[in-house]
Amino acid sequence: MQKHNQKEHLYKLLVIGDLGVGKTSIIKRYVHQNFSPHYRATIGVDFALKVLNWDAETVVRLQLWDIAGQERFGNMTRVYYREAMGAFIVFDVTRPATFEAVTKWKEDLDSKLVLPNGKPVPAVLLANKCDQGIDVLMNNGIKMDQFCKENGFVGWFETSAKENININEASRCLVKHIIASESDPVQSVEPDIIKPHLNSSKIVSCSACFKS
Amino acid sequence: PAALPPAALGFTDVNLNSRNTYEVSRRRSAPEHLPHGGTAPAEPAPPPQEPAERARHRVGIAGAGSSFAEFFTRNFFTKKTKELKPAVQSAPGWKLFGKVPPRENLPKDSKIIQQEYEARTGRMYKPPAPSARRKNIEFEPLSTTALILEDRPANLPAKSVEEALRHRQEYDEMVAEAKKREIKEAHKRKKIMRERFKQEENIASAMVIWVNEILPNWEGMRATRRVRELWWQGLPPSVRGKVWSLAVGNELNITPELYEIFLSRAKERWKSFSETNSENDIEDAGASVADREASLELIKLDISRTFPSLYIFQKGGPYHDLLHSVLGAYTCYRPDVGYVQGMSFIAAVLILNLEEADAFIAFANLLNKPCQLAFFRVDHSMMLKYFAAFEVFFEENLPKLFLHFKSYSLTPDIYLIDWIFTLYSKSLPLDLACRVWDVFCRDGEEFLFRTGLGILRLYEDILLQMDFIHIAQFLTKLPEDITSEKLFSCIAAIQMQNSNKKWAQVFASLMKDNKEGDKNHSPAPKS
Repeated sequence: MQKHNQKEHLYKLLVIGDLGVGKTSIIKRYVHQNFSPHYRATIGVDFALKVLNWDAETVVRLQLWDIAGQERFGNMTRVYYREAMGAFIVFDVTRPATFEAVTKWKEDLDSKLVLPNGKPVPAVLLANKCDQGIDVLMNNGIKMDQFCKENGFVGWFETSAKENININEASRCLVKHIIASESDPVQSVEPDIIKPHLNSSKIVSCSACFKS
Repeated sequence: PAALPPAALGFTDVNLNSRNTYEVSRRRSAPEHLPHGGTAPAEPAPPPQEPAERARHRVGIAGAGSSFAEFFTRNFFTKKTKELKPAVQSAPGWKLFGKVPPRENLPKDSKIIQQEYEARTGRMYKPPAPSARRKNIEFEPLSTTALILEDRPANLPAKSVEEALRHRQEYDEMVAEAKKREIKEAHKRKKIMRERFKQEENIASAMVIWVNEILPNWEGMRATRRVRELWWQGLPPSVRGKVWSLAVGNELNITPELYEIFLSRAKERWKSFSETNSENDIEDAGASVADREASLELIKLDISRTFPSLYIFQKGGPYHDLLHSVLGAYTCYRPDVGYVQGMSFIAAVLILNLEEADAFIAFANLLNKPCQLAFFRVDHSMMLKYFAAFEVFFEENLPKLFLHFKSYSLTPDIYLIDWIFTLYSKSLPLDLACRVWDVFCRDGEEFLFRTGLGILRLYEDILLQMDFIHIAQFLTKLPEDITSEKLFSCIAAIQMQNSNKKWAQVFASLMKDNKEGDKNHSPAPKS
């Protein structure tokens, strides 16, 4: 793996959440830099690959597993979780029921998958379709921070695949936590001990990564 | 030398960004569809009028100067022209930058060039053997002659004989090459047209046979060799829905009246759902709402995501309500199955080929087949049996690829789930998917798995070069240019025999294993 002092990491990331919350759109935006309102429903699982030049010495390859959202598939999609290193759990800010389902998805994830060190896999919560002018979350920032803490999310972001808001930032947040959990397998990875990333100029609403 | 316009730059940018290894590999899979980089070197540019005008203009300016200058230039030019007449005659063709002006004496024959050369140098040159001379080619590209065939302008040293000849030869080769390509392309076009024409004729004659002979004697003829062969060729679109209906059958004895009953029940539920939904907010959304969502809200969400590129099932599209009705009625008819993703694609394909009630009848009966029931009930252990049976035939037919997949722990659930759930209607182009459905109606579930193996066979060479993520990406988004001829010849080459056991026997023996191993059966699948 070591080539000219360059480290290469390969991470499998899951993208889960209720049906129609925009998982596929987020991935298309992230990997192909485009958006269409006409994606077909995902049946089973779809795949994408994103390569990040993390820093001068590190290349990160992200294998994105875009998993069908219908709850019914739960049993079937369990095999897809295997060996994942991190997860995005997505909900649609315009549909409250999809937020209700977030805890269910998180529990499902944690019950089916743990890291080799026994810890839960780092998960970032994405409040998608934030371009739709629904401000529920803006006013509930503290509540959301609290929610993430209680449910073991390493952070949360308001995202829009349509307007390309915060998707790169959310991914950096998740990868940062994965790298941290990898390099420090014994100590617990509490969100609070992660040093903030100060060079980001965008408005970022990840509670865990950017406070402190 | 000119900078690209910003729009063009932006375009290339986007292309580069969106080009991932996956797309590259997809391109590799279809080399015949690569955009031709440099077309013929001989694309004739329209002869521009502009330079001649500019020349006139220049003269005008010179003439507007002082009388002395006028006299001087005029004298200078006339003298010069007289002296170097042959060279000047050919000079308009020589322009490094900018367009080539029209020439009256085009195209120049090498003989003329030779004569001009001789006239200028005063030397004689023995003409080359006739074979090396230019043949009479009616295909005469303009622009390429400019640099190659022309003599150099008078102020530069003239071409040597060898150079002129070589240029002539190179030019001839280019022209011949371009000509050859043109002829080849014309042949290809002709062939495609011929094939299309033949295909249409075949469809027309097949339709007559289906309508006049087969359909009136359905039960007696459906299993005959002749009908089965005709069936494999693909059903004519006009009888497709009818044949599907007959082949799927109506074991459930559903009548159009029964459909109406379930449809009105579904409509009542939608009504009450939308009424209660408006009162609900995030706080008191309970389990009952979640349940209703599962069967109704999901349908709404999925309908617009069913064949979105056709623009007929989306909100406001002509078939939106129809698809909604068929799926809604089904959830009322089979609450034990409910709505499961993938159903919208199947219902949509049926709606495209059948009347509403007939579509519903075919839909309900189709989903009642053992394989479809196992998948749509998400009976995981049954699904694993199907995957295991698939792998038996995978290994038998494509052992190299089978091992390649094994080495990456790439299990059939990665790609088969999408294929089986939607009966290929999402993963294959719609017309091709319909042809798969044709034979699926003839051969049953076995053909679904045979088709999967046909796809793997078709792309075997490419897949053998790929790693896990690229295979997974490739198989979950197949190339759009897949053709029915290629796919069906690959499917035909797949043998559904494993040491004398057919699909049904292999599957049955796996089911037997299942029963024996049931006591200590573990839900976690191995890969």
